[in-house]
Amino acid sequence: MNDILGGELVRLGPIDPEEFSKAFAIWSRDSGFNRLLQMNATNLQSSNAIKRWVERDLEDSPVAFYPFSIRTLADDKLVGGTDIEIVNWNGRNAFVGIFIGGREDWGKGYGTDAMKVLLRYAFMELNLWRVSLGVFEYNPRAVRSYEKAGFHHEGSMRQALNREGRRWDMLFMGILREEWMKLNQ
Amino acid sequence: MKDLFRGELVRLTSEEPEFRARQEVLWQNDTEFHRLADGDPAEMYSTKKIQGWLEKAVEDSFGPERYSFSIRTLEGDKLIGFLGLWCNLIHSEVWVGIGIGDRAYWGKGYGTDAMKLCVQYAFMELGVQRVSLGLHAYNPRALRAYEKAGFRLEGRTRQDLAREGKRYDSLWMGILRHEWLQMQNGDKA
Repeated sequence: MNDILGGELVRLGPIDPEEFSKAFAIWSRDSGFNRLLQMNATNLQSSNAIKRWVERDLEDSPVAFYPFSIRTLADDKLVGGTDIEIVNWNGRNAFVGIFIGGREDWGKGYGTDAMKVLLRYAFMELNLWRVSLGVFEYNPRAVRSYEKAGFHHEGSMRQALNREGRRWDMLFMGILREEWMKLNQ
Repeated sequence: MKDLFRGELVRLTSEEPEFRARQEVLWQNDTEFHRLADGDPAEMYSTKKIQGWLEKAVEDSFGPERYSFSIRTLEGDKLIGFLGLWCNLIHSEVWVGIGIGDRAYWGKGYGTDAMKLCVQYAFMELGVQRVSLGLHAYNPRALRAYEKAGFRLEGRTRQDLAREGKRYDSLWMGILRHEWLQMQNGDKA
């Protein structure tokens, strides 16, 4: 069997709290990055503060949480992170999150490649039935990437977000096991 | 100004954790109640455990991010359910959850009336721009109740849950402030 964590441009690796928190502190200096990543108000954290929550996530994580770093195959550079969290084991459904940290690494296909690897892990290792994600209306690059990885649009929470003085939709997408199997046969 | 905690069939209340825990233990004896309220496997909890959660919720909550109520009938003053609101303060949005515990009180308008109070509280007291909720596709009674309270279906998580050997969608709905205000004006006209 092949290494299921390796893609064409990137591979999924473990998270080293020391390395990851230093990189994340630099990425999150860019409020544009923060706003694409999460709903909270952008704030700035020291690498020490980041390291504490990263370590807590890794140590206390329940059996249903699988975090990874994203590294380029070309030069083993840490470029982002991704995780999968199982919502209901009885329903075999999960939520995923993903980010590419530095602007210089956006738009190069790393995120799409990493998501394809994560989906393979979800369906071929965790044996899930479906995978979901949420994405902000103001992040069309991410939407295109998820579409390329095989996600379908499932609806939106209308005007759920307030950024830059206007309201935006929160979009939800999903992919079923059978859909993924068809794409990968 | 009118009493926001009082509807046509029910009122919103605060209960002693011990009393409510004893009611919840009775409700959870019915797996159908659990399945309508949650996607996880139905489980049985002790009164002590439930009381612990409720006490923790009381300590940690009550504004500005979380509001929690119980639901009592106006007639008979019986505790029949619960209601919770989780606010996203930055985006002025609130997620709500509701449950009517005892089968004997399903399908009689109590949930709809409580949800109307919930939405009114969100828009008129918390002042949010949007109210959101989720439900399971195998709960058409809830869907109708939420539609009556003004919610619109916004999407479906396809084949989200496995119940009785079949896959079921999860649905989510939302109502915007201006939609709700329009409804109120329509009611008065």
